[in-house]
Amino acid sequence: MTFLKKLLEFSGLHPDRVRTRWVSSAEAVEFVHEVSEFVEDIKKLGPNPLKAKAKEAA
Amino acid sequence: MSTKIKETVQALLIEGKIKGFLGLREANGNIMPHLFCDPKELDSLSLGDWKKSGDTRYPLNQMMIQLAIAYPNETFAILVRGCDERGLRELFKWKQLAEDKVILIGIGCPDELARACECEKPFPDSLLEGPQGTRVENEKVASIDKMGLEERFTFWEAEFNRCIKCLGCRNICPMCFCNECTLEEANLIDTGAVPPANPTFHLVRAIHMVGRCIDCGLCEEACPADIPLRTLYKKVGEIISKEFGYKTGFSVDEKSPFNIIEVK
Repeated sequence: MTFLKKLLEFSGLHPDRVRTRWVSSAEAVEFVHEVSEFVEDIKKLGPNPLKAKAKEAA
Repeated sequence: MSTKIKETVQALLIEGKIKGFLGLREANGNIMPHLFCDPKELDSLSLGDWKKSGDTRYPLNQMMIQLAIAYPNETFAILVRGCDERGLRELFKWKQLAEDKVILIGIGCPDELARACECEKPFPDSLLEGPQGTRVENEKVASIDKMGLEERFTFWEAEFNRCIKCLGCRNICPMCFCNECTLEEANLIDTGAVPPANPTFHLVRAIHMVGRCIDCGLCEEACPADIPLRTLYKKVGEIISKEFGYKTGFSVDEKSPFNIIEVK
């Protein structure tokens, strides 16, 4: 993950767009928390530059 | 300049210690790879375009793997620069070549070439002839590090989109020895379009260079679209070195941090 984040950063993508967490299947609350937090953080970062490129092409 | 190399190889051939020497030969005004099996042939030995990083470099390590497959019981000698030696070390660790079947004949690169390559170590430990140059700073990587995120994105997007997906970077790579390649796997990377799915295509290759890329630069020389692949893979090497303390090809027995499976 450390490696992937650094590589994304080098190629111009925000490293926080990728995240790994280990959550057990028994920890539903934890899972919801992690996903919600990730969604919030991604929203703060705004749209992915790659997505804008895909739309242009379409 | 090649007297010492010729003498050494000649002795090895006469004593029967090696079946052949994989090096370069000059014939009809061209420099090409050649397997020297007869000491008399050594007159045509060439050290290639060793003054500058030109197009007379070949993936000798890749040919070495093919030789070893064809003649598993024979020992061969091979001409190596600093990068080739690092490559061989990794190939030994990846079990693509047997260490005791390969004899290294080392040449050092001149400053000019070392600078063009921004080489970490422009000479092999098995140095027989040529200069023992010094480390050159990685300025190309630093220049991209200085850019902001958006600028980097635009830069790489323009570079990657010139890709015609010839797979030349992979085909010439002495470290690309897999029988099946992710780059051709439609379930992982969309196929059938040019330029390929970017940046996925190039970043996947970059990730696969972890613990493999020894910065020989053949990929960038082979690239018809002049994509600065070497700079990308140099960054891969830098991350692995800074974050994981592993320098690809510098040690004989230490394995890449991504490939350590401890069986107890």
